[in-house]
Amino acid sequence: MFAALQKLLRNTLFRLSLLGAFLFVVSLFAALGYIYYATISSELRRVDREITKEIAELQTVFDRGGAARVVREVELGNLPADYKESDPAYQRTYDLGGIEEVSRAVFLRGANYEGLYIFQTPLSTVGNLAEQVVQTTERQEGFLTGNGTSFSKIEFFYRDPRTQDEGESERRGRGIAGYFKSKSTDRLGGIVVARDVEATMRTGARVRTAILTSSAIALLLGLISSWYVSRRFARRVEAFNRLATDVRAGHLDRRAPRNYSEDEMDMLAEHLNAMLDHIDRLMKAMRYAGDSVAHDLRTPLTRLRTRLESAAVELGDTKEAEILFAAAGDAGELLSTFDSVLRIARLEAGERRELLKSIDPKPLLDDLAELYEPACEEAGLGFTAKISDKTKILADRGLLSQAVSNLLENAIKYTPKGGRIHLESRRGRQGRVEISVSDNGPGIPSWDRERVKERFVRLDKSRTLPGSGLGLALVDAVADLHRAEFKMDDGLGDEPDAPGLKSSLIFPRRKNQSTEPRGDA
Amino acid sequence: MRILVVEDDEVAAEYVRKGLMEAGHVVDLAADGDLGLEMARAADYDALILDRMLPKMDGLEVLANLREDGDATPVLILSALGEVDHKVEGLRAGGDDYLAKPYSFTELLARVEAIGRRSDPSAAVTKLKVGDLEMDLLARTVRRGGQKILLQPREFRLLECLMRNAGRVVTRTMLLEKVWDYHFDPQTNVIDVHISRLRGKIDKEFDEQLLHTVRGAGYRLQV
Repeated sequence: MFAALQKLLRNTLFRLSLLGAFLFVVSLFAALGYIYYATISSELRRVDREITKEIAELQTVFDRGGAARVVREVELGNLPADYKESDPAYQRTYDLGGIEEVSRAVFLRGANYEGLYIFQTPLSTVGNLAEQVVQTTERQEGFLTGNGTSFSKIEFFYRDPRTQDEGESERRGRGIAGYFKSKSTDRLGGIVVARDVEATMRTGARVRTAILTSSAIALLLGLISSWYVSRRFARRVEAFNRLATDVRAGHLDRRAPRNYSEDEMDMLAEHLNAMLDHIDRLMKAMRYAGDSVAHDLRTPLTRLRTRLESAAVELGDTKEAEILFAAAGDAGELLSTFDSVLRIARLEAGERRELLKSIDPKPLLDDLAELYEPACEEAGLGFTAKISDKTKILADRGLLSQAVSNLLENAIKYTPKGGRIHLESRRGRQGRVEISVSDNGPGIPSWDRERVKERFVRLDKSRTLPGSGLGLALVDAVADLHRAEFKMDDGLGDEPDAPGLKSSLIFPRRKNQSTEPRGDA
Repeated sequence: MRILVVEDDEVAAEYVRKGLMEAGHVVDLAADGDLGLEMARAADYDALILDRMLPKMDGLEVLANLREDGDATPVLILSALGEVDHKVEGLRAGGDDYLAKPYSFTELLARVEAIGRRSDPSAAVTKLKVGDLEMDLLARTVRRGGQKILLQPREFRLLECLMRNAGRVVTRTMLLEKVWDYHFDPQTNVIDVHISRLRGKIDKEFDEQLLHTVRGAGYRLQV
């Protein structure tokens, strides 16, 4: 999971589209934030302005007529007819934001002013902020100054007795608290002018939630689409990577998949394919030239050999005859090299693939074991064979014999005297039949194992030994034709400098193999 | 033996003719399929060497015509198409042996002598005899000078092949084909090792050597 995430983060397109999604979310957040600012915040500022204006008006009233005038102004027609100053309902004391002077408040039902008021003088307290638990949540000192008085901006909760529902009773208010000052006395009356902003605040909260939620959704969608887009992209890039690996492994017939949408990736695929076609043509032309040379040289070489041989036979048992026979042998060696080249060329053309038959390789391998066992003994090598029965592979008997024979001959050629060679066939991983020849000779270093499968490639230490460098190329061509894997590993050697070699032909699993425990048919 | 060579490549045909004559055979040449068929019908040859690719009439067609006439003359097919399936095709058409170009002349000689009418190696005999070496094909026993020799099945087939061609050269390739049914040439001396084992069994304790190595060609079983 973590590794998958790391891999995803390495994906260029994923990072790019993630950045895009992030920027989108940021701008979305900014746009919605502006909407919030333009609606909710400005509404609150409007409330503040109105309150400020009212305070100023009340101050004017106070300046003109003193506290009584303010009371009257506020009270005007607001007190119920049976209002009694002594009613305990009007005699509550509240702490309103630490303004001790505003210690009593009267709740005015049906006030003309839509706002909430408390006005208190040493003689009386009027207002409609009453009977409620008022809890100041925020206080901003020195908000409004004038005539030496200071007003604080407050936000608070209060309980509106008009609301019966318990859950909804806590409402938010917003107002300004301060003192009116008369010319003669300081702090004549404390006043709070406020507005119920519950509806606005609720809308604000809802808008905030909506902004956060929509931003989160956008972020999530952005992540998902980044992942999806990058996965599609990664798949197509992955196809190119696989193609490159395959081509490097020698499968020049592979091509990039196209979707014919003619987008950049599709065009890239087209150009890559065109390039591969070109390389393929060049390789074929080169090979064809080589093959033609081999083909055309065969006839004169044959004649050369025939001439040498007949001349040698004519000379009888002489020294000259011996030289001629040796020369004929050289010509024969050249011919067999050319034959191998042509044989590999024909195998690579794949023209024999349809001739493969389902066979049990056991008789064929038994025969090879029987054929090579004496040769091993002659070379001072121990030979063992372990050939499992009841396996079936799709193969050409002749070609498979030749391939395994080449492997055995290589093993005999390179394993020093006293070594051992082991021929084995078994059903290996996933029920795939594996035919292998192992020895305890010098082996082939892992970095050379692919190279030695090429034509005419011979490793330095084998240059002194006879051979054309075509044996393993032929095995490889045979393996390719059989869709088998030709694999080399360390063999039976115990010494670090002579690990031995195990050459295996691993055949593809056959679909209708009845003895296969986990059939995929 | 009287041998007809049907081959359109003049140079190659001349080489073959010369070589066969040197080996003591009488040789006629035909340069195309029509002429080849005519000549094969007209005279009684001991063996035919027939190129597959011929002007006027294809080699396999000539062969099919001959076999239709009931002519059983042994035929060695030559072809540039060396693959095993072409070989099978040629043999199925009635050829007695098949040799891919390029071939060595000794190989050609050994093969044509092996199929030649006078040799008849596939004849239904039950006993083979070379000098004091006797092989009973039914009992699958081998004796030399009355002494029983024990052979492995493959050694038996190897010896049988050599005995059926007694007095003639049998090449390594022929042995690989006829005894092991392999149609490729191993690089190493696998056949030589098998021959030397066989030699150890049939020749070692006897004064007269029967199994000879023919340099540059193969082996010959001969008194």
